[in-house]
Amino acid sequence: MSTGLLFGIVYWIASDFLLAQARIAVDSEMTTMRTASRSGTGDPLLSAIAERQSLAGAAQFYYGLQNPDGHLVGGNLPVVPQQAGWQEFEVPVGTGRLKPFEGRDEETGTLLARVHLLADGRRLTVAIDTFLITEAQEAIVRAFGWAAVAGLILALLGGVALSRNFLRRVDALNRTVRAIMSGRISERIEVGSTGDELDQLGQSLNEMLDRLQASLEGLKQVSDDIAHDLRTPLSRLKQGLEATLRVDADKDVYRQSIDEAICQADAALSTFGALLRIAQIESGSRRQRFVAVDLSDLLTGLAATYTPVSEDSGRALTAAVEPGILCQGDRELLVQLFVNLIENGLRHTPDGAAVAIGLARSDGDIVATISDTGSGIPIAERKHVFRRFYRLDASRNTPGNGLGLSLVAAVAELHGAEVQFDDNHPGLIARVRFPGQRRS
Amino acid sequence: MASHLVKSLQQHGHVVDHSADGRDGLVLAAGETYDVMIVDRMLPRVDGLALVKTIRGAGIAIPVLFLTTLGGIDSRVEGLEAGGDDYLVKPFAFAELLARINALARRPPLSDEKPVLQLADLEIDLLKRRVMRAGKRIELQPQEFKLLEYLMRHAGRVVTRTMLLENVWDFHFDPQTTVVETHISRLRAKIDREFPTPLIHTVRGAGYALRDDS
Repeated sequence: MSTGLLFGIVYWIASDFLLAQARIAVDSEMTTMRTASRSGTGDPLLSAIAERQSLAGAAQFYYGLQNPDGHLVGGNLPVVPQQAGWQEFEVPVGTGRLKPFEGRDEETGTLLARVHLLADGRRLTVAIDTFLITEAQEAIVRAFGWAAVAGLILALLGGVALSRNFLRRVDALNRTVRAIMSGRISERIEVGSTGDELDQLGQSLNEMLDRLQASLEGLKQVSDDIAHDLRTPLSRLKQGLEATLRVDADKDVYRQSIDEAICQADAALSTFGALLRIAQIESGSRRQRFVAVDLSDLLTGLAATYTPVSEDSGRALTAAVEPGILCQGDRELLVQLFVNLIENGLRHTPDGAAVAIGLARSDGDIVATISDTGSGIPIAERKHVFRRFYRLDASRNTPGNGLGLSLVAAVAELHGAEVQFDDNHPGLIARVRFPGQRRS
Repeated sequence: MASHLVKSLQQHGHVVDHSADGRDGLVLAAGETYDVMIVDRMLPRVDGLALVKTIRGAGIAIPVLFLTTLGGIDSRVEGLEAGGDDYLVKPFAFAELLARINALARRPPLSDEKPVLQLADLEIDLLKRRVMRAGKRIELQPQEFKLLEYLMRHAGRVVTRTMLLENVWDFHFDPQTTVVETHISRLRAKIDREFPTPLIHTVRGAGYALRDDS
């Protein structure tokens, strides 16, 4: 397309230029003739024509002198012009007509002529053979033709080479994908150094595979955990029911056994529920429902709720909540986050322990703290506590599903908050930091 | 599941119509006056959410209890937004469902809400936030007042632990500590202990009920 356009422009400009050159040549020849005619003997014009005709440089010019009645009286013009001015004549090539040039094989040629009406009524004609212009035009066409053919061939060759290279790489990619599909999950696509689109695709695919593998391992971890943590209560349930069935018991014993079975089934179901809930929170869809939540109000309310609970269990609960602190969030989930932390403080501490709830602004962040004076979490275990089903050895005997802190982590993550455990000297302090939240 | 539910509800004296898909349910809801509808979120042909939106759009105000699948934390909000009145996550205890539909079926319209609720010699004034029993003023903590108010509104009916957690504390999960039991026991100490007839009763395997047995 662009080559075609370029060709058109070059052709047009070159033709125009050559034609203009021809007209200039004719004009200057005409001037020379008329100048020569003023200084000669006899009919100076006729002798000038004869003189010019014999010059080698004037080979492409034709001259003609007409009487006022129109008859040619001199020169070698093969046609008889009928009027004055610029005109073109189609003339056969041959002896006495247009001069043959090397490589001229057309039967006719075109003359570009200027006919000048002289003062004495005669007409002087100077014409130029346009064969050379036509030849130049043809040369341009030929040049472009060859260039086009060569370009096409080169493009084809390049295309074949490129696509063969491309296909080879796609093939390699395909082989890797098939290998991964067949279970070799740690295979990765070979990424070249050119950084082209295909390399970038390979890079992206590799990163995707890394993440998939990570989540697959996470999933495997969870299913292992489920297998481990749910098999126990379910087999206990089954054994209990079987044991009851074996003995010939009365109605009350059966009823008690069924009640226990229901309790155990409920516990298993709540573990399932908690797992699904964490998975849903982690999916992030809840973020669409975020509203302004009054954290001060929320924590004050929880303190009121848990003060009697802690008193009954022989622990002291205190709250130091700065009023009017709001954050964007999901109230229901934030309640659960703080309840889980508060209940951990109440459940995993010895009698007489103190649990404190705090909320304050700090360096533009909002920091909620739940601290206790229990035995704390050993530093080595702090990074593990958010894992699903992870339980400290010390708390194995306390009822619970080991998902409380996983849920805390999921809710915090959803809110862009950070949960950190530190030593409370003695005990544990959990800090939930909501970074750069809008203030009330 | 549905036929089991129908049978159990009939055993408890309810008249039950059942349809297995959303479109038939819509026809039923439009044609009859029910006290309560139990709608599963996952229904063939017309799903539960669309069904309730449709009947609400048609101006039918039958109380709706949604049944949702396990762990569906968004379903409650969606259900309530669609015009549902309560929700219950499957699997659930039948006692829980029974308590909830009883609560829904006799929920008084909000317009003729009385500012003073009364049961036997117990009286609570919702505007003045004041509680009197046998003419004697009883001081309650705000959460205790809220708990008592909820029990009073459902006087004579069983309210489950979960209903209390959701409606009094806005806890939509199961806490690991005895939040409900502790607060009920505090409330009992204040409104029942010094009086001859207890009003707060524990219903075994189901929950609590505020009623006058005398």
